[in-house]
Amino acid sequence: MIRSPMASANQRLLGKLLLLVLLMFVMAWGMIPLYRVICQVSGLNQVVSADTLAPATAATPPGRPIRLQLDAMVQAGLPWRVSPMADSVLGRTGEFIQLQYSLTNNSNQRVVGQAIPRYLPAEAAAYVKKLECFCFSQQVFQPGETRRFPVVLVIDRALPVHISRITLAYTVFDVPGQGG
Amino acid sequence: MAIADIAVSPLPSHQPHGWRRWLFATNHKDIGSLYLWFSFSMFLTGGVLALCIRAELFHPGMRFFRPELFNQLTTLHGLIMVFGAIMPAFTGLANWMLPLMLGAPDMAFARMNNWSFWLLPPAMAMLLLSFFVPGGAAAGGWTLYAPLSVQMGMGMDLTIFAIHILGISSIMGSINIIVTIFNLRAPGMHMMKMPMFAWASLITAYLIIAVMPVLAGAVTMLLTDRHFGTHFFNAAGGGDPVLYQHVFWFFGHPEVYIMALPAFGIVSQVIPSFARKPLFGYTSMVYATSSIGVLSFMVWAHHMFVTGMPATAQLFFMYATMLIAVPTGVKVFNWVATMWEGSMSFETPMLFAIGFLLLFTIGGLSGVTLSVAAVDVQLHGSYYVVAHFHYVLVAGALFSLFAAIYYWFPKMTGKMYCEGLGKLHFWWSLLWFNVTFFPMHFLGLAGMPRRIPDYALQFTTFNQIASIGAFMFGLGQLIFLYNILHALRAGKPAEQQPWEGAQTLEWQIPTPAPYHSFTEAPELEVFENGVIVTMHGGKHG
Repeated sequence: MIRSPMASANQRLLGKLLLLVLLMFVMAWGMIPLYRVICQVSGLNQVVSADTLAPATAATPPGRPIRLQLDAMVQAGLPWRVSPMADSVLGRTGEFIQLQYSLTNNSNQRVVGQAIPRYLPAEAAAYVKKLECFCFSQQVFQPGETRRFPVVLVIDRALPVHISRITLAYTVFDVPGQGG
Repeated sequence: MAIADIAVSPLPSHQPHGWRRWLFATNHKDIGSLYLWFSFSMFLTGGVLALCIRAELFHPGMRFFRPELFNQLTTLHGLIMVFGAIMPAFTGLANWMLPLMLGAPDMAFARMNNWSFWLLPPAMAMLLLSFFVPGGAAAGGWTLYAPLSVQMGMGMDLTIFAIHILGISSIMGSINIIVTIFNLRAPGMHMMKMPMFAWASLITAYLIIAVMPVLAGAVTMLLTDRHFGTHFFNAAGGGDPVLYQHVFWFFGHPEVYIMALPAFGIVSQVIPSFARKPLFGYTSMVYATSSIGVLSFMVWAHHMFVTGMPATAQLFFMYATMLIAVPTGVKVFNWVATMWEGSMSFETPMLFAIGFLLLFTIGGLSGVTLSVAAVDVQLHGSYYVVAHFHYVLVAGALFSLFAAIYYWFPKMTGKMYCEGLGKLHFWWSLLWFNVTFFPMHFLGLAGMPRRIPDYALQFTTFNQIASIGAFMFGLGQLIFLYNILHALRAGKPAEQQPWEGAQTLEWQIPTPAPYHSFTEAPELEVFENGVIVTMHGGKHG
């Protein structure tokens, strides 16, 4: 069969349009890596990001004494007891500070809890860098179990000078559906 | 120019009969009619679902439906109206009218045209069937947001496959429209002279080709997340549900214009005909339509202002969205200027076109309100949004479709509908549309969220007003159905030229349009917007 010039023009345009369809379908899948790259480059949507101390330069102030007030509480109605091993600790900015917390499950059931830290003044939160903390993950306690947890942190030397006292307060919440 | 110049071809007219005529249809008029009847039946189906929604919302508290079923109703109402009613109706009109308006014998690919229609009924059947599978139909809203859509039962799988088929159907329909417009125009019908309806259909077809594959990609990813262990949108596996929203709305916003641009095209044909004046600013209309098409790809994230985008991105999408109001405003002012000092008469098509103009502008303004990121944070997911998009889709797309059907009905069928019933249909629809949807603005401003089966007591009165309006509006559509059926059976014969001011090519051929029209292309001299100055030759089979 001999194609009329019109029919072959139609076929050519059809081919181009089908190519466009294919390209757009590929583009839909291409949006996935593109989205990841954009989020990474722009720092958007990063749930976990590497944390660093401000780089030490000549302008960085020397270490200075800081008093850490320690506090802890429990969501109302939960069978937990949480207490710091000391009411307050004297440390220096730029140096490791180690604290201890004691957690007890007063119930006769297995419980799962999650501690959330809070800082006063809130401004200080950005300068307290924790290396080790029981708040990093959910904690499982057997009935009547008591455990001590170390908390290791560094306070950035870039801490504004008007802050000389930081309160670190933990609240423990239960994780529903995870208990015994 | 004289109609008598057109010789009727001596060849015997090939016109199949019975079910073969429809199942094996390759004639653009038959396929157009199939599309229009199918979309009308889907309009009634989606409408019944809407009335179920409004019945539940008549009183606070759980009355008729379980919350899960209510969510299925809102989801399927949206999907059916968008993919089953509005889009096929515009494709059907394009099928019917484009060859007549451009002087082409038929659509470019007649068999593909048959396929693009006959894929629709099975797809819609699958969608409706999903109500009866365990777990019921999709219930996450027509946007099928992850993670809900990753978790649901097999109704979601049926929905995903239905969307694949609907997508293939509308892509094939669009390819046909584009090739027909580019390659099959009669001599003299230049691109910058062809009717606005053809321009609007052309740009819409390009939008469909560009974004339907993206939707297909998005729902395919949902499918693999559900069954094949991928984690595109599953946060627990390192995916991101917000990513789904980006992919979806990259499709979803051009989709809004897929449902609006053909309406602009129809109104640009109807208003000049009844104002008895050429369309004001034809060239600017073409460029406005094109720029709306281009801009529609750059604004998708205005649906996502509450997902935690950075302020810079919010500002970009906010200003880009506001920018769309400029070409849209150009069009609105052009229509008003077309009517200015025109010798207007108010037959039903013109009434629907003016109704469109008024109400679509209201919907456009509430859209500009929503585009303000700071305001949208308050209004997102509220009934204000429901009010907004029903003003642009019901009073916009649907009213323009009514205008088109009344306008072209005499040419399609050779019968005249009852003008009195048509006017009643218009005024009835206008009144009850506003009773239904205007109170929803206030419900939204007062904080009523959308997609809920129950609500706080203080919203009762306005919900009752809206429900009464919805039932009356739905009842009014039976006037339309009766008018059409009655006219088909016992309508007065239509004149060759029922509208004094209509001057485009489809009015230059006999009424009703011959089964095979323009088997030989005419020689045309065309003014802007498809207005025929002279026509020579042109044969009908």
